[in-house]
Amino acid sequence: MKGTAALGAAALAGCIGTGDPEGGDDETGTESDEMADEIAGWGWDVAARSLELTADEYNDEHDAAVEIEEFGREAMKEDLQTRLASGSGAPEVSMLEMIDGPSYIDTGAVLDITDQIEEADVYDDFVPGVWESLSDGDDIYALPWDIGPTAVFYRRDVYDEHGLDADEIETWDDFIEQGEQLPDDVYMLNLPENDLDGFWRFQFRQLEGEPFTEDGAVNIHSETSLQVAQNIKDLHDAGIASNLEGWSSAWFGAYGDGEIASLPSAAWMEGTLRAELPETEGDWGVYKIPAFESGGARASNWGGSSLMIPDQHESAENNRAWDYIRWTAANEEMQLLMYDEYGLFPALETTFDADIFSEELEFFGGQPAREIFAEVAEEIPSYRFTGDTPEVSQAINDEFQRMLRDDQTPEEAVEAAAETVADNTGRDLA
Amino acid sequence: MREQRRKDAVWMFLTYAFILTMVVVMLIPLYWMIVAATLPQQEFIEFPPRLIPGTAFLDNFAALQERMNYVVTIWNSVFIAVVYTVLSLLLCSMAGFAFAKYEFRFKEPLFYAILATLVLPIQLLVIPLFLMMSQIGWTDTFRAIIIPWLANPIGIFLMRQNMRSIPDALLESARMDGASELQIFYRIALPAMRSSLAALAIILFLFQWDLFLYPLVILEDPGNYTIPVALAGLEGTQRIYYDQIMVATTLAIIPMAILFLVLQKQFVSGILAGSLKE
Repeated sequence: MKGTAALGAAALAGCIGTGDPEGGDDETGTESDEMADEIAGWGWDVAARSLELTADEYNDEHDAAVEIEEFGREAMKEDLQTRLASGSGAPEVSMLEMIDGPSYIDTGAVLDITDQIEEADVYDDFVPGVWESLSDGDDIYALPWDIGPTAVFYRRDVYDEHGLDADEIETWDDFIEQGEQLPDDVYMLNLPENDLDGFWRFQFRQLEGEPFTEDGAVNIHSETSLQVAQNIKDLHDAGIASNLEGWSSAWFGAYGDGEIASLPSAAWMEGTLRAELPETEGDWGVYKIPAFESGGARASNWGGSSLMIPDQHESAENNRAWDYIRWTAANEEMQLLMYDEYGLFPALETTFDADIFSEELEFFGGQPAREIFAEVAEEIPSYRFTGDTPEVSQAINDEFQRMLRDDQTPEEAVEAAAETVADNTGRDLA
Repeated sequence: MREQRRKDAVWMFLTYAFILTMVVVMLIPLYWMIVAATLPQQEFIEFPPRLIPGTAFLDNFAALQERMNYVVTIWNSVFIAVVYTVLSLLLCSMAGFAFAKYEFRFKEPLFYAILATLVLPIQLLVIPLFLMMSQIGWTDTFRAIIIPWLANPIGIFLMRQNMRSIPDALLESARMDGASELQIFYRIALPAMRSSLAALAIILFLFQWDLFLYPLVILEDPGNYTIPVALAGLEGTQRIYYDQIMVATTLAIIPMAILFLVLQKQFVSGILAGSLKE
C-alpha cells in the first residue's frame, strides 16, 4: 500500500504538480525580499522537536511565526507526497531524509535553492559528502541538516573482561580475530537479517562504491560491492555475530546485558543508547569502523537528513522558509544546540571545532567520543542515491540473506541483486 | 454401517481439530496484543515474551491519553463511521432499488460504469479528491471524509442483486393500492432487505473505520484525527512506544467487535441471500 501511494503520487505529479489553485505566481522567491510572517514546518520525532527548538529562537529574534508540526514518520511521508503531487497543501518547510532526496526531487515538486545557497555563500560550510543526494546535476534542492558519521560503539566492560583490545582493531580481520576471543554466549556484533542492506551500504560507501554509474546503470555487482559481500559473509561465518532484529526488545536487551559487545552504527546512536540503556552509562566506548586493509579508509555515513521547501507557495513564503532553514541548518549556534539537546549530528563542518566535540563524556567512560565522529564526518565519501534506492535495499537484503544461508556465493549474491534491480527499474547493468 | 459411522466420527474429529487449530492461530496475535497492553514497557520488551496479563493497562492508557486525546480520537472514528454507514446504506439501497426495479435509459451501461469504479485503488483517488476538497474549503472537516465515499459500488451492487428478489407483483399491487414510489421503497423494499442491510452495514462501517491515507491527508488538526491516523502518529524513528500502541489498538477493536456481534446473524444470511435467490 505504501509503495502504491508513492507511485501514484509520483505518476500524477507530472500532470498536476504545477497546478496552483490561487492562480498566483510561481516565482522562486528571489525577485522580492518580502517575507511572510507565518509558515509551517513538518518533521517527525527528535527532528520535529529540534525544529521546534530553533523555531522558538527564530520567532523571538525575527518576529515571525514559524509553526512546527510533528508526525509519525511513515504517516508524514505519505501525507507529504500526496500534497506535493497535488501541488497544494504542503508546508512551507519540511525535513527530507538524504536517502529519499532523489525520489522527491525527481517529482519536480521541490524548490530549487541553488541561487539562495550561492548568495548566502554557505556551500563550503558543510561536509562535502552530503550534497550529491540533494542535487540534480548542478541544481541543489535541499540544505543539509544532520548526518550519521559511522563508528563502532562497544561495551568497554565486556571487551576488558574477555581481554579484547579496541586499540588493536584496525581492519575487519582484526575485528574478527578479537571477536573470536569471546566466549560462546557473547557475540562480537549483531548482523540483523532485516538490515543487511544497511551494513552493506555503509561499508560500500566506506570503499567509495557507487550503486549507480553516472549514466544511471546499476553497479551494485562491482568489485567493491563483492568485497563488502565477502566481508559480511566472513563476519557471519566466523560465528561471532548474533541475528536479532534491529531495534527490537531482544536487541536492546542483549546490548543492555552485554551479550553483544559491539554495535557498528552512527553518531546518532549515542542519543538512543543514552535514552534506552541509561544503566550502562560509563560502560561504552567508540572507535572508527575497521578498514578493509591496513591503512584503508575508516569513514562512512549512515542516515542523515536535510531541509527542503516545497515548490507551491508564494515568493514571500518561500523567502521566509529559506530564511528559517538557513537559520536552522547553516547556523553554528543552532546546529550545536540541536546536537546537544537531541543528538542530531551537524552536517555543518564549521561547528566541528566547538567545545562540545572535545568534551570527555561520562557515558563513554570519559572518552571524548565526539571527536571521532567529527573526524569521520570530514572524510565521508560522496554517494549517489536515486529514486530506485529502495529497490537496491530490497534486492541486497534478499540476496544477502540467501548468501548467509549458503544458498549462493557472494559473487552470485551481488550479481543476482544487480540483475533484480535492473529488471525492476529498466536500468542497464554496468 | 458401523464402519461408516466410525469413519464419520474420525472425519468430524479431524475437522474440528483443524478448525480449533486455526482459531488458536488467529487468536494468538489478538491475545498477545491485549496482554501487551497490560504490561509496562520494561516487561513488554522482555524476551521471551510474557503471556500472562499484567496490571499496567490504566497506566499505559494514561500515558497514551497524555500524549494525545485518544478518547476524542475514538469518538471521531465512531461518529464518522456511524454517520457514513447510515447515509451510505440509504443511498446504496435507493440506487440498488432503482437498478433492480425501474427501467430507464442507459441503465445497464450506468450500472457497469459504477461497478467498474471498483478497480480504482484509493491511492489513485486521493490526490484528485484532496484537490477538490481543498478548493471547496473542506479540508480538515468530517464531511470531506464522509461524503465522497457515500455512493459505494459494492453497496449498490449488493443491494441491486438482493432487491431483484422482491417479486414485481408485490410492488404492482402496492401501486394499485395507491402507494407512492417512496412508500413502496420504505414500506416494502427496505423491510424485506433487513439482513442484506445488516451485512452491508458491517462492510461500510469497516471500510470507513479502516480508511487511512485519505483521512491522513484531509485531516490536519490532531483533535480531528481518526484512529488509524492517530496510530500512525505514534511511530517515530528511534523509539516506538509499543505499550501505548497496544493499548490504542486494543481499544480500537472494541466498537468493531460490538457491531459485528450485534449484526453477526444477519451478516451471514445477508451475504448468502444474493447468491441463492436469483
